[in-house]
Amino acid sequence: MSAHGMGASPLQIKNLGRRKAVNRVMELLAWLAAAIAVAILGVVIWSVAKRGASELNLNLLTKPPIPFSLTNAPQGLANAFVGTLVVVGLATLMALPVGILVAIYLNEFAPASIRNGITMVLDVLNGVPAIVIGIFVYGLLVVGHGQSGWAGAFALACLMLPLVSRSTMEILALVPNSLREASLGLGVPQWRTTLSIILPQTIGGILTGTVLAVARVAGETAPLLLVCSLVGPQINWNPQHALQTIPVAIFELSESPDPADHARAWAAALVLLLFILFTSLGARWLANRSRRKIAAR
Amino acid sequence: MPNLGSKTRAITLIALCGAVAAVAVGAASAGSKRSAGTTITGAGSTFVQPLVSQWISPLGSAYGYELQYSGVGSGAGVAAITARTVDFGASDAPLTSDQFNACNGCIQIPWALGATAIMYNLPGAPNLLKMDGPTLANIFMGKITTWSDPAIAKLNPGVNLPSTKIAIAHRSDNSGTTFNFTDYLSSVSPAWKSQIGSGVAVNWPTGSGGKGSSGVAAIVSGTPGAIGYADIAYAIHNHLSYFRMKNNSGKYTTPGLRGILSAAQSDQKPNADGSLSIVNPPKKFPNAYPISTFTYVIVPQQTSKAPDLKKFLFWAVTKGQTYGPKLFFAPLPKTVLVEAEKSIAKIHS
Amino acid sequence: MASAELTADARRRPLSGRRLRFGDVALQVVAGAAAFGVTILVLLIVWKVVEGARPAIEKYGIQFIWRVAWNPVVGRELYGAGSFLFGTAITSIFALILATPLALGIALFLTELAPGAIRAPVTALVETLAAIPSVVIGLWGILVLAPVLRSTIEPWLHTAFGFIPLFGEPGTTGASIFTAIIVLTIMILPIVSSICRELFLGIPHELKEGALALGTTRWEMVRGVVFPYARGGIAAALILGWGRAIGEAIAVTQVIGGGVYVGWNLFSGGDTLASKIAASYQGASTNLQAASLIYLGLILLVFSLIANILAQWIVRRSARKHGITRGGHA
Repeated sequence: MSAHGMGASPLQIKNLGRRKAVNRVMELLAWLAAAIAVAILGVVIWSVAKRGASELNLNLLTKPPIPFSLTNAPQGLANAFVGTLVVVGLATLMALPVGILVAIYLNEFAPASIRNGITMVLDVLNGVPAIVIGIFVYGLLVVGHGQSGWAGAFALACLMLPLVSRSTMEILALVPNSLREASLGLGVPQWRTTLSIILPQTIGGILTGTVLAVARVAGETAPLLLVCSLVGPQINWNPQHALQTIPVAIFELSESPDPADHARAWAAALVLLLFILFTSLGARWLANRSRRKIAAR
Repeated sequence: MPNLGSKTRAITLIALCGAVAAVAVGAASAGSKRSAGTTITGAGSTFVQPLVSQWISPLGSAYGYELQYSGVGSGAGVAAITARTVDFGASDAPLTSDQFNACNGCIQIPWALGATAIMYNLPGAPNLLKMDGPTLANIFMGKITTWSDPAIAKLNPGVNLPSTKIAIAHRSDNSGTTFNFTDYLSSVSPAWKSQIGSGVAVNWPTGSGGKGSSGVAAIVSGTPGAIGYADIAYAIHNHLSYFRMKNNSGKYTTPGLRGILSAAQSDQKPNADGSLSIVNPPKKFPNAYPISTFTYVIVPQQTSKAPDLKKFLFWAVTKGQTYGPKLFFAPLPKTVLVEAEKSIAKIHS
Repeated sequence: MASAELTADARRRPLSGRRLRFGDVALQVVAGAAAFGVTILVLLIVWKVVEGARPAIEKYGIQFIWRVAWNPVVGRELYGAGSFLFGTAITSIFALILATPLALGIALFLTELAPGAIRAPVTALVETLAAIPSVVIGLWGILVLAPVLRSTIEPWLHTAFGFIPLFGEPGTTGASIFTAIIVLTIMILPIVSSICRELFLGIPHELKEGALALGTTRWEMVRGVVFPYARGGIAAALILGWGRAIGEAIAVTQVIGGGVYVGWNLFSGGDTLASKIAASYQGASTNLQAASLIYLGLILLVFSLIANILAQWIVRRSARKHGITRGGHA
């Protein structure tokens, strides 16, 4: 709040009441804004939890869907869970090594101008809308060959790459130079220094960045809708065909008129949300811990 | 110096990568072994999707086929088979000659027979209200805007119609059902024919668009006062009311098996390209439901998957038809079945 | 020579002054290839999108951009981006208008007002909002938000404020431009607020405390010190939020209702560039329609790139002004 100023002018003191009132109003508005944000989040999570909990059972994970079922046979979204596992797994395998290599190059080898340039390119890649990535991958991989899990994985890898690179770069920058100098001073070649000394220090941070990137793309719908959505209800592990994925399943079920479909959509959304929340919060906790550890050296 | 903690973390990371890689590689090899040659993919009409969905399980047990069908709309189905990204396409709208050219050696085979229901959601009103073609056209042109309009009341004397606003639901994607529906409206309303016409997509004067038949059903079931069109199976599946339509003999008929089969009698012989037209049959078919339609499977005449496709299609037009009646798909009439089987026999590798 | 300079020097010229080892060259080549591969990837994206849109570009030229039409009827095909450009503009701008005061309020709350016990949980909560996938927000939008808007909010707004053309005749399904605006506001709120929060945290304490010591109220300090200092960063945050809003396809297409609409009634259905692509791409049945959809994607890409590069430029400029080395993430 306001302090009694030394040598405050009469005008300042006269207006003090009004200024204090304005200040109070603004503080209330700020509290209100925070309350609104918390309320929105609460409403959304509560909706998902309440409506998803009823349909959340083992069938959801183990039984395939039965389209236009005329009986009450148990069904679930097993094909979507399997498909997400395969597609996101392949995407991670594609994005992780490339992302780490890019970060190593930028942090350990690149002159400043190239580093700034490619960092800008990474930021640009991060800003490309996911639907445009979908159009790109469609033109690159789907035209002439048909949809496939590989195309979906590649699209997700394009989205993961900037995140993995950036977090690896940040953690590499945190490793103190003294470590590099000591190693180089002992005659260890630079490549050995980087791979055997520097990189192991950063495993925690890389893990964190990867987990955050996975959490980000696990819920990504738009590119998969374009390159990996012509699927059947069967549980399929083969990425040469299009595979059903959780976000695409939620999207399709959300537009259905059937309340049973809606219930399954809520349940899948709940699983997805729990996975993302758990991994995001866990990764951030790990990141803080690893950051403190490295900085404390 | 790296301590034990980060070594453990390194091992964890490598193990994680290894696990993911193992899953992926195992997936690729296992998947390719199991489904080599036995996956049949198709895309297209949502109209026929309820019926095709019933075929997935019996086909799996009869022949070991994994049938994967995506309801993306008739237009997209034709595009998909033209680009050969699927093994077959499904469309309720017959192909135009341009589409035949683009498809480069495709044949069109009628494989199911159904009807488009005009569904509505009017709380408090009974099911099976009466409707006729010209009034329906006026509703969809936006000229009639409330349920209590005299034109609707005249058709339904004694029914208490509220003054709820009519909310139109139509298809937002390229749809064979739209073709069937607008074909019907064009034949009963000269104004519709000249201003809007027929096609898999038209310039709707009013209303909201839903994707796929289920999108339209979703709008109707969620909006009091809504009217929309989709295959009758969607109305049944979602407990939606639908109109009795007035046919050319003056009778009000429902989109049930009797109405559909009666309409099918009005065109018993497929044209050279495999298509038939049974919309708005003349009055000598008094029981006909006027918005009935055949629906077609589009396949390339020459394909490496010919043996499996032929087995699948023969099954579909014979055994597959038995799954139809409970969804109000009438079995193919004998004459049409014979022509269909002749066309299927033409598929070769 | 300071040790930091030595290592930095070694980084700048890694291969000079030392014996060239095969391992060094190999690692640098492989890693460098990856880095330049990223550049190639971005260029490839632009190229593929242009190539995909080419049939539509050749047929319609530049007039496609402002033509208001989307007629997929075979024989009368005519496509244009005008109504979707309008939809993108109106949804993103209104979402920004709604989100900005909220985001600034949250950021100020978290940096100035929140008691220590609340600060961390609320920060985590706001970040959690950012992590919710758009398809889940869209699901909530169709099944929870839209019915409420349709039955209660939209009619009330229409009767109370109907004289403003924004609040015209409410739609029938609850899926409307207004619903999309609400959904987009929820989606860009966390991004803008977390960027602003980090900005406000980075303001030197002396400046803030100096103002307070001179007798200003907290709000006057915010207005006089925080906002001017963070002006560039706030602008960049808004631009990035806007960029996110224009690129959002899934949640918007689930709630916006669809249609070719240019007008002021927020309760009408409509489409944005991104939502139109998501809605129609699977069902595109002619090559011209597919190319026109990709043309929409090209326009979207151009706007996203402009927003992204503009935001980056502002951040760099204000970082230089404040003497901050580039290290924090946007």
